[in-house]
Amino acid sequence: MATPLVETRNLKKYFKTGKGMLHAVEDVNLKIYPGKTLGVVGESGCGKSTLGRTILRLHQATSGEVLYNGENILQYKKKDMKKIHLNMQMVFQDPYSSLDPRMSVHNLIAEPVQVCGILKNKAEINEHVRDIMEMCGLPADHANLYPHELDGGLRQRVGLARAMAVSPKFIVCDEPVSALDVSIQAQILNLLMDLQEQRGLSYMFVTHDLCVVKHISDEIMVMYMGQTVEYAKTEELFAHPLHPYTRALLQAVPTIDLSQRNRERITLKGEVTSPIDPAPGCRFAPRCPYATERCRQDVPLKEVAPGHLVACCACSE
Amino acid sequence: MTIAKRRKKSLSEYSTGELVMYRFRKNKLAMFGVVLLCIVAVAVMLAPVLSSYEAVSQMHVSDRFTAPNKLYIFGTDEFGRDLFARVLYGGRISLLCSFAIIGIAFVVGAVIGGAAGYFGGKVDSVLMRFVDMLMAVPSTLLAMAIITALGNGVWKLVVALAISQIARFARIVRSAVLTLRNVEYIEAAKCYGCSSLRIILKHILPNGIGPIIVSATLCLGQTILSISSMGYLGLGVASPTPEWGTIISENKMNIQAYPYLGLIPGICICLTVMAVNFIGDGLRDAFDPRTKN
Amino acid sequence: MEKDNLLEISDLTVQYNTDDAVVHAVNHFNLNLVRGEARGLVGETGAGKTTLALSILRLLPERVGEVVGGSIRYNGEELLTLPEAEMLPLRGKKISMIFQDPMTSLNPTHTVGDQILEVLDLHFPEMTKAEKAARVDEMMTLVGIPPERKGSFPHEFSGGMKQRIVIAMALVAEPELLLADEPTTALDVTIQAQILELMRQLKEKFNTSVMLITHDLGVVAQFCDSVSVVYAGRVVESGPVEAVFERKANHPYTAGLFNCIPDLNDNQPRLRPIPGHMADPRVVHEGCCFADRCEFATDRCRKEPPVMHTCGDHGILCHLYENKEEF
Repeated sequence: MATPLVETRNLKKYFKTGKGMLHAVEDVNLKIYPGKTLGVVGESGCGKSTLGRTILRLHQATSGEVLYNGENILQYKKKDMKKIHLNMQMVFQDPYSSLDPRMSVHNLIAEPVQVCGILKNKAEINEHVRDIMEMCGLPADHANLYPHELDGGLRQRVGLARAMAVSPKFIVCDEPVSALDVSIQAQILNLLMDLQEQRGLSYMFVTHDLCVVKHISDEIMVMYMGQTVEYAKTEELFAHPLHPYTRALLQAVPTIDLSQRNRERITLKGEVTSPIDPAPGCRFAPRCPYATERCRQDVPLKEVAPGHLVACCACSE
Repeated sequence: MTIAKRRKKSLSEYSTGELVMYRFRKNKLAMFGVVLLCIVAVAVMLAPVLSSYEAVSQMHVSDRFTAPNKLYIFGTDEFGRDLFARVLYGGRISLLCSFAIIGIAFVVGAVIGGAAGYFGGKVDSVLMRFVDMLMAVPSTLLAMAIITALGNGVWKLVVALAISQIARFARIVRSAVLTLRNVEYIEAAKCYGCSSLRIILKHILPNGIGPIIVSATLCLGQTILSISSMGYLGLGVASPTPEWGTIISENKMNIQAYPYLGLIPGICICLTVMAVNFIGDGLRDAFDPRTKN
Repeated sequence: MEKDNLLEISDLTVQYNTDDAVVHAVNHFNLNLVRGEARGLVGETGAGKTTLALSILRLLPERVGEVVGGSIRYNGEELLTLPEAEMLPLRGKKISMIFQDPMTSLNPTHTVGDQILEVLDLHFPEMTKAEKAARVDEMMTLVGIPPERKGSFPHEFSGGMKQRIVIAMALVAEPELLLADEPTTALDVTIQAQILELMRQLKEKFNTSVMLITHDLGVVAQFCDSVSVVYAGRVVESGPVEAVFERKANHPYTAGLFNCIPDLNDNQPRLRPIPGHMADPRVVHEGCCFADRCEFATDRCRKEPPVMHTCGDHGILCHLYENKEEF
C-alpha cells in the first residue's frame, strides 16, 4: 500500500484547565492517503476540531507524532514550518468569523501567497488570485467586495479559495458546511469534491453530520471524548456499525425517509461530559446501554474485519 | 451591487490606505473636524505673525479688563495682558503637549497591552501587574509624584502625564486583542505562516482600533484639562507661561465679572476637543469597511 | 370536512422598513394550524420563518417591523388588532415560544427554578406558593431534570439540559400553541433526538399544537404531522408530511431541497444543488419568486404569480400543477 500523506501516531493533546487536565485528544492514530478523504465524526467536545488543529500545529501536541510524507512535522523548527504552510491548510466552520472583515476578497486570497512568498510580482499575484477565484466559483467582479457583502456560501468559497491559494496537498475542513443552508451546503460539498478530483487533494473532513460525512468520505473515524471508538471504510461503517455509540449516532440522525418515522430507536441517555482527568476504561460506558464491569478497563482499538477497527469489549469479540 | 458603482478602478490600483482615506473623506462630520482642527492649528502656528511673543507678558496697566475690541480682539486680563496673544501662544503648548502625551501613552500602552493580550500566560501576568500598579495610584497623583521627582518643565510634564495614561491604553488594547486572539481568521493567518508581528499589525490592530481611537480622542480633551490643573498646582506649565487651562485658572477669580476671560479659552478647548472627536469617529468608521458609503 | 383550526393566518404580509430599503420578509402568507397538530415550517435562512413567529406573538421590532396586511386569527380572534393589554396574557400562557439558542434565552443571574416559577407568577396569580413550587418540581421531572437542581444557575447546565429548562418554561403554563424556532439546531444529534422525543411526549400529554420552525427536513419528517415549505416569505408548498415527503409531486424548490440533502440510504456520487442564491427580499417579484432558480421556469413564471393548486390537503404554489387533478 502507498505511504499515507498524513499520519498520526499516538497523538495526544491535553489542556490544562482549572479543574484538571482535559484529555482532548487521546492516542489518535490515523492515516490519510493521497487523494482520499478521512471523515472525523463526533459530537461537540469530542476533540475532533482540536485534532485537526493539532495536526496543523495550531495547537502544540502533548505527545505523539504527526507525519507528513513520512516526516515528523512536530519536530520542525521555525524555518521548516514553511513546508507545512505550503502543503497543509485549513477551512473553518464559521464563514463569518473566519474571514478578516477588513480585507477585501482579493486581499484575503492574496495574503497567503504574499506571506509564503510564492509569488513576488504584483501582476503575477493578481493573475493567480483570479485563477483561484475562478476555480472556487467566485465571480471575478467580487474581488473588491468585503466579507460582509457576501452571503454564507460565497464566504465559504472565499475561505476555501484562501486555503487553495498556496496549492496545498492536504486540507483540514473543520465543519465547513454546518453553518450553511442545505442548498448552499450542497454547492460547497460539490466544489470540495471537484477540487479533490482535479487536484488530487486529501481532506480531513471534521463534522458532526453523518449524512455529509458519508457523502464525502472514503474512510470514517468516529470519536468520543477524545478517543477513537470506531474506524472503518465508509461503506463498511454504514453497513456494519459496531460500536454502540456509532449505532446510536446513526439512529439519532433525522432522515427524510418516512419509513423510519415510527421505528423504535435507542435514544442515548445523558450527555457528553468533558474528559477532565478521565478514569481508565471506556469513556462511553456511562451512557452505554450494554456497559458491563469489563468496560472499566481500558479498551484498545481492535481490528475486527480488514480495515475495520473498533474500541469496544462487547463487539470486538 | 453597490460596490461595482462605487469603485471604477480595479482593485490592484487601490491600496487599503487609499480606501480608508476615501471613506474618511466621505464623512462630512470628520472633514469638518479636520477643517476645524486645521484652523486652530494654523492660527496657533501663525502666532508670531498674528501677534508677538512680547504681547504675551506685556502688561498694559491702563487697559485692565478691556472687553474684546478692535485693539484687543479677545480683550485683556487683570494685568492688562492681551488675551489674544496669550490664547495663541497658549494653544501651542496645549496642542503640542496633549498630542504628545496621547501619542506616547498610546504607543507604550499599545505595546504593553498588545503583547500581554497576544502572548498571554506569564507575559500577560507580569505586564498586567505592572499596569495594575499604575492603575492603583490616581492618575493626577501619579503625575504629580513623577513631576516632583523629575522637576518642573514642559517636557517633564508630558512624560508624567503620559505615564499616568499608559495603564488606560494598555487595558483597552489588551481587551481588544483578547477578543480577537482566538477568532478563526487569526488561526487561518497562522495556518499560512503569518508572523506574530504581522498578525498583530495586519489583523488584530485594524479590527480592534475603533474603540482605541475613540478612547484616545476622548482622552485628549481630558489631557488638555489635566495639563492646566497641573499648571494650577504649580507643576509643569506655570503662570505666567500661557496655556489654555492655565489661562482659565489664573482668571478664575474674575470670570464672574468678565465672562470672556473664561469663555474664550474654554471655547478653544471645546472646539479642539470636538474637532478631534469628530476626526476620531471618522477614523473609526473609515477603518471599518462595513460602514455604509 | 370542517376542521378545528387553532391558528389561521391569511394573506399576511410583513415588511421591515430599514434605512436602506424595504425588506419584504413575509409575503401573502397563508397557514392553517389544526388543533393538536405539529406543523413544520421549513425554509432556509432569510425565508421569513422567524418573522412569522414574531408576528404571531406581536413581537416584531418596533418602528422597523410592520404588518402591512392580512390577518392572524387565533381561536377565531383577530390578533393583529388586539390591544397590547389583551395580548400580554396570551403570550406565555396560551402561546409560548422556544428560541433557537438555549444559551442566551435563559437569564444567567436567576436560578432555573425561579425562571420557571416566574412564568407561573405572571400567569397564575391565584395559585398558592406551595402549588407553584409543586408545579415547578413536576415540570422539571417531566423534562427529565431532577427537581433538586432547581437551585442551580443556567451556566451549571449543558446545552441540552438548558434547552430542557427552556421547554419546561414554555410548557409550564400548558399553552395551546408552542412556537419552536429551531429548538434543536444548536444541539448535537444524540441530544437533538432526546429533545425531539421529549417534545413529542409533552405534546401528546398536554395536547399542545406545535409550530416547529426549522431548516432541517429530516427533523420535520420525524416529528411533524404536516409541513409548510417557505421560500422568500411565501408558503410554496404545504400538506401532510406523508404527501410532501412521498416526493411524487413537489414544488420545484422542495424537490431541490430534497436533492441537496445527502441521504444515509442512497449513494449518489454528486448532490444536485439549487443553482443561484436566495431571493433578495428587497426585490418585489412580478412573477414567481423562485423563477430565477427554477429549472422549469417559463416566461409565464417570470410574469404571472402562481396560485396555490391543491389536491386534498396538499397544496403547491406553481404553474406546473395548474391542470393536474391529482398529484
